[in-house]
Amino acid sequence: MHFKLLLLAALVLLFSTATHASVGGYICPNDRKKLLTVLVKALINVEGDFSTPYYGIKGFKALNEQVAAVLVKDNCAHIKKYYKADCTPEENFQGLSAWNLLGCSGKLHTDATITNLRTVLESDKSTTSDIRYAAETLKLLGAAIPNGAKVAQLIQAKLKEDDSLQSLGHALHAAALLGTSGNFIQDRIEEVVVQADEVDGKLLQWEGGLTTTSLLITGLLRFPGAKPLNAQQAEKLATYLLTRRTVQTPKGALALLEATTSLASSDISPVSITIAGPAQVTLDKPELKVHISDILGRALKAPPTPVVAQSATRITDDVVVLSKQPLSPGGTPVEFVLPLRLEPGQYRIALTAGSHSTTLTVRVLGPVTLEWLQIGLGDADGSAAPRLTKLTHPSKLPSPLRADSSHHLVAKFAISRVVHQAFLRLYSGKKEIIFVAEPDNSKLYKISVNLASELAHSGTFEMELILGDSVMSNPIRWVIGTIEVSLSTPEPEKKSLRGPKPEIKHLFRQPEKRPAEVVSMLFTGLTVSPLLLLFVLWWKVGVNFGGFTTLSVPFHVGFGGILYLFFLFWWKLDMFTTCAWLIPIGGFTFLAGHKLLSHVAKHKKA
Amino acid sequence: MPQVTSVIAKFFNEYNSKTPKKLKCIDAYLLYILLTGIVQFVYCCLVGTFPFNSFLSGFISCVSCFVLAVCLRLQVNPENKNQFAGISPERGFADFIFAHVVLHLVVMNFIG
Repeated sequence: MHFKLLLLAALVLLFSTATHASVGGYICPNDRKKLLTVLVKALINVEGDFSTPYYGIKGFKALNEQVAAVLVKDNCAHIKKYYKADCTPEENFQGLSAWNLLGCSGKLHTDATITNLRTVLESDKSTTSDIRYAAETLKLLGAAIPNGAKVAQLIQAKLKEDDSLQSLGHALHAAALLGTSGNFIQDRIEEVVVQADEVDGKLLQWEGGLTTTSLLITGLLRFPGAKPLNAQQAEKLATYLLTRRTVQTPKGALALLEATTSLASSDISPVSITIAGPAQVTLDKPELKVHISDILGRALKAPPTPVVAQSATRITDDVVVLSKQPLSPGGTPVEFVLPLRLEPGQYRIALTAGSHSTTLTVRVLGPVTLEWLQIGLGDADGSAAPRLTKLTHPSKLPSPLRADSSHHLVAKFAISRVVHQAFLRLYSGKKEIIFVAEPDNSKLYKISVNLASELAHSGTFEMELILGDSVMSNPIRWVIGTIEVSLSTPEPEKKSLRGPKPEIKHLFRQPEKRPAEVVSMLFTGLTVSPLLLLFVLWWKVGVNFGGFTTLSVPFHVGFGGILYLFFLFWWKLDMFTTCAWLIPIGGFTFLAGHKLLSHVAKHKKA
Repeated sequence: MPQVTSVIAKFFNEYNSKTPKKLKCIDAYLLYILLTGIVQFVYCCLVGTFPFNSFLSGFISCVSCFVLAVCLRLQVNPENKNQFAGISPERGFADFIFAHVVLHLVVMNFIG
């Protein structure tokens, strides 16, 4: 017993060490297209230094794409215009690399260039980056690097001053160019690798992002003899690089391409196992296509054999439905086919390709057949059996159902397999109500709708049966027919969304209540009556018109005019008109009155 | 009580005999104005002030007319000659008329 357990443990251990994970993804054609768009922009918007032409053309070469002739011409002209012999080593490298890669005609560099670069390699002021690019440029121009041992010493001195990841990365590249003199750097490789940060146990990256990670990967892989990375590290680095597929800068795009190319062409090229196309198969087309390639989507140098589906497990109940089924090669070297003739459902497939393994989740879709459906009206109190009409799938009810508030809408149907979503939808225009069909026993569904409580008002509704499921290859929407429901509340009138709004009428202040006309007239009379009294009194006192002469006529006319004007003012005129009239009439009255009164005064004295 | 009546009777006789005719005219006018104002006030108390501006203009018109008439009476009264030496009755009447013109312009504007 103990022995058996021990054997099992040993086997498990063996299995887990012998196989390792794979990468779920690769630079697919879609990603290539996006990266090319980024790189083309670099070649079109060329400006400033030589970095954008370099990133652009280098990226194009990495993707094996041709650059349009017009862009080549523009970029060559740009480089030629701005190139100087005393550029920095990096500019020299980028400019001359781009010049060569673009295939520009003529010679850009001069002897002074080589002299300058050689000076850089000997100068104490150079950084590791300067040394690296100087060395790269010299190699590019086919010139020898003088005195490799001395340059190696300089690099070591510089690393003592600055041992950042960037500096180490450039040192790795520089040392790789020095041949045997560069072997000193191999002592630093382990130091570089341990500085990588692991994220969630899945990703591996160096601090500083894509550019630094790419610089270090390409640098480390220039020493294949030193075996700088193991397969797990390569896979994690590849996973990190693939998360950066959407990079938007030309520099990032080139860094991604250089790193992935370098990883893919190394001995530890990570294996990518993915499902080609959608992760689902139908019963008609049960072949699941699996894509096994390197991270650039190319066929692996050593094709992994055998490719075996170790097991397929149904996710809902963890039942193993398939084991040890080999995959047959597909149409292309990277494609493998696994026929999945299984019950519809979701499956987890454990796949091994050579020493690599992965788990894929696949859905198998199958059709659902609607065996029969009965629909009709039943009494709300359940006193009588519902009158049901039997229908088969595409056909419709011959005549609309007529229901009132005492009715229930009853529908029953049977389907070949239980589905997640089974609804009856009642709709009219934009309004809809959806009822959920509950499975009665295993595959028999029943809906009973209390029309009086579910519907707000009368109306004619279309009835639609909706059947759907995540593993159903033929989702069903079946318009069964119409139902006319007449309830106590009538259908509300449709309000037009357009058209005139109701007119807004100005509301004047309501006049206050007035007394009865009799009262008003009585008091008017009362108010006027003292006038009569006045006349009586005057008559009693003995008023005479003895003093009335022709001289007094104009004054009385004028004064009468003023009073009449005041009456008109009250009646209809405004203040301005009144004043305009008042001035001449008043003036006339004043003169007439003055004359009359002075005459009266004179007369009295006399 | 008979004393009171005799006082009133005496007062009335004195008024009738001693007051000039012109002043009696003015007094009659004053009485008329007073009664008109009282009627308006009674209406206001019994029925209400609506429309308030009309009531105010009517009532104020009465009060102002009364005041102006009293002024005229003072100026015209021969017993007050010393106080209004420079003002002849005619001048007083002209002022009275002028003040009325201005007053009633305002009243008409306010009556609504």
